[in-house]
Amino acid sequence: MPSNPQDRSFIDVRQGLQQALTQVQKPARYTGGEYNEVIKDPAGIDVRFAFCFPDTYEIGMSFLGEKILYELLNRHENWWCERAFMPWTDMKAKMEELHIPLYALESKDPLTKFDVVGFTLEYELCYTNILAMLDMAGIPLRAADRDESWPLIIAGGPCVCNAEPMADFFDVMQLGEGEQMLQDICAEVEKAKKQGLTKRQLLENLAGLPGVYVPSFYDVSYNPDGTIRAVTPNDPHAPAKITKAIVKDLDSFVPPEHFIVPMIGAVQDRACVEVLRGCVRGCRFCQAGQIYRPFRERSPRLISDSARALCQNTGYDELSLTSLSTSDHSRLEELLDRLNAWAEADHVSLSLPSLRVDNFSKSMVDKTTKVRKSGLTFAAEAGTQRLRDVINKNVTWEQIERTCTIAFKEGYTSVKLYFMMGLPTETLEDIKGIADTAQKVVDLYYSLDHAKGKGVQVTCSVACFVPKPVTPFQFCAQDRRETLREKQKYLLSCVHSRKIKVNYHDSATSVLEGVFAKGDRRLGRVIETAYRNGAFFDTWEEYFDYDRWLAAFAACGVDPDFYNYREIGLDEVTPWDHLDVGVSKAFLVREYQKALRAETTQPCNRQCSGCGANKLLGGPCFEYSKDLV
Amino acid sequence: MNTVRIWFEKRGMAAYISLLDLQRVMHRALKRSGLPVWYTKGFNPHIYLAFSCPLALGQESLCESCEVKTEVEDPDYIAWADALRPALPEGLRLVRIGPAVMKMGQIESADYRLTVPAGAAAALDAYNAAGSVPVEKKTKSGKKQLELKTYIPAVHYTQEGDSLVFALHLPAGDKLNVSPALLLSWLEQAHGVPAWQCHVLRTGLFAAEGRPFL
Repeated sequence: MPSNPQDRSFIDVRQGLQQALTQVQKPARYTGGEYNEVIKDPAGIDVRFAFCFPDTYEIGMSFLGEKILYELLNRHENWWCERAFMPWTDMKAKMEELHIPLYALESKDPLTKFDVVGFTLEYELCYTNILAMLDMAGIPLRAADRDESWPLIIAGGPCVCNAEPMADFFDVMQLGEGEQMLQDICAEVEKAKKQGLTKRQLLENLAGLPGVYVPSFYDVSYNPDGTIRAVTPNDPHAPAKITKAIVKDLDSFVPPEHFIVPMIGAVQDRACVEVLRGCVRGCRFCQAGQIYRPFRERSPRLISDSARALCQNTGYDELSLTSLSTSDHSRLEELLDRLNAWAEADHVSLSLPSLRVDNFSKSMVDKTTKVRKSGLTFAAEAGTQRLRDVINKNVTWEQIERTCTIAFKEGYTSVKLYFMMGLPTETLEDIKGIADTAQKVVDLYYSLDHAKGKGVQVTCSVACFVPKPVTPFQFCAQDRRETLREKQKYLLSCVHSRKIKVNYHDSATSVLEGVFAKGDRRLGRVIETAYRNGAFFDTWEEYFDYDRWLAAFAACGVDPDFYNYREIGLDEVTPWDHLDVGVSKAFLVREYQKALRAETTQPCNRQCSGCGANKLLGGPCFEYSKDLV
Repeated sequence: MNTVRIWFEKRGMAAYISLLDLQRVMHRALKRSGLPVWYTKGFNPHIYLAFSCPLALGQESLCESCEVKTEVEDPDYIAWADALRPALPEGLRLVRIGPAVMKMGQIESADYRLTVPAGAAAALDAYNAAGSVPVEKKTKSGKKQLELKTYIPAVHYTQEGDSLVFALHLPAGDKLNVSPALLLSWLEQAHGVPAWQCHVLRTGLFAAEGRPFL
């Protein structure tokens, strides 16, 4: 890599850290040196990759995607993948004061020394942190301002399904799963370095890879009303539509078995194995349920063997089976039996994070939660059957009742119910339904035999619904803050028991989330302006400043309401139409219209509803001739 | 049941591992090692693990120790050391493993080696000349006044390159713990010697009458 023309003078990182680390909170966030960290000799390295997570160390180190890709990239002897996180505000200030550039934890080298700097786009409100991290490394924010001398700045992660708000800042964005795609990108970078290709030539080579989106190769034109007329390629190498990359067979990639073990407690500080990808349920509000299609499972043997190796290599004593819906694994009982064959002897306890009310069984409780029967969490999402049908959350009161009965008999005394507010077609009747559902759970507890003196606690956690792109509800307008506040007030007035606790959040962050989720390229300037005016760590309430954002929109002449408070026409060109995650727009329209009629759709392991994602597999997702469910 | 003492160094970036984190780090290292350590009984069994005389964040040490238990009758400590050594992260270097001869409460004092910038000579001379150096010590029950001169009557430093080096012998353990950081923060506050340029290395732990802690 050629040396970089830096307009900012930085000091040596290690030297600066000697001072900085003694003057900040939790210095172990910034030291590296954790067990299983990969250290290589830079002399033998052809591709240096900095994996950047735009949030704190504790949050980033909980992220499974990074663990997967860190291990895959580092398996190549001549590539070195390292990590960088967003420094907490005290460290950020200290680094700026001492002129320490943002560096990777492994080598302590500044990001400018890397060939590729990759960011995870995990959540819309982390966008300003990405700009902050580039800036802290002295890297120009906009792709157009970076010549050959700068690292290739790339992005991946779920938010790439609408890449446009961040398109100005990245050379390359990855749509879909990174296991193969990121290795292909690094191989092209290695080739380009060895052959001395220009950045343009490299980008043209990359544009041909499945899932790779080079934003600068596309022009966006607009209609007089502000909607998009077309997104057109301006380079012959760029496909008109970018199709998501996937791993067809999950068993073809061994899950990561050498997690870096953080010294300080990460948010998810345990072993975890991804048991399946995608989701069969088709909840209409859920973006993950759409963009991770098609549904694919890992075999119980591979999961169990990898999990055991992972626990041995890390020393973790807790194993979590992660996925969007772990209990939908078709061979879950076999999997749990395999895991239980070694887990107890190895001092490892199992947990299933995402249980469902409709297939929760006593044997599952027995096989997972041997200790600490304290709390149980279920996502009911809506308070009435009508609204649950609208959102296709195929859960009935009878199922909730059955599940809670099992749980209460097993000794559970607290239940947490997740709901959303601001869902399409929602009325006050549905809001009251949330309180009624909670009350019925309380009544159920007291109708059963329970330990004397032991009460029940039902917590309703109510989130504000944000319509997301690539979902059937992408066409819907988001509820305004005033409306949501009224609904929250009404909900509280419907609760008449001290056994019921209601949690909800203020909706200012949800508004921005809605704007960026469905935004277009014109938002790049707004994000940059907000960042220049001091916005970062927007996910942290104490740093989020709504007025600063409103000022940035005003300064750029962009109306945020256009993006989240406006219904999108069924035939309108959306900013993400050229990014194909598998499910077709026709399917989204069909599902939206069914939602308005409160008609449900079967889970895809029961009946294919033709979403289109099976084209990524090249065949049907399930063998429907078999008796599946 | 045997009580086993694990001695390790805590150096370099590992100096920034806090006690709370160190417990987690050691717990996982022991688990990775596969050693037959004793687990507590109860609903949530975990490895019995106790640290003696924890070090302040940012200080280094050649003589950190922790205790575990085992039901193994006559542990092969060489084999234990071989199993644990590769399971420790960078900066935590295993020194030795052996039977815990004394109880942790028997620790009474510790040796430290301090390195400060050469420019601090005048400040150290001022310390030596002062009749009284009252400092504030934070304890669990609040702030306490402490006469530093009682514990460090004088500092005998020598120059090594750009640095001044000196040894301190200070009370340590449950009854009274006097951290070398008290001297460093006095040097910073009274004479502007930047604390971050000063370095503390713990070199020994002692029981009553200066006998080595075993």
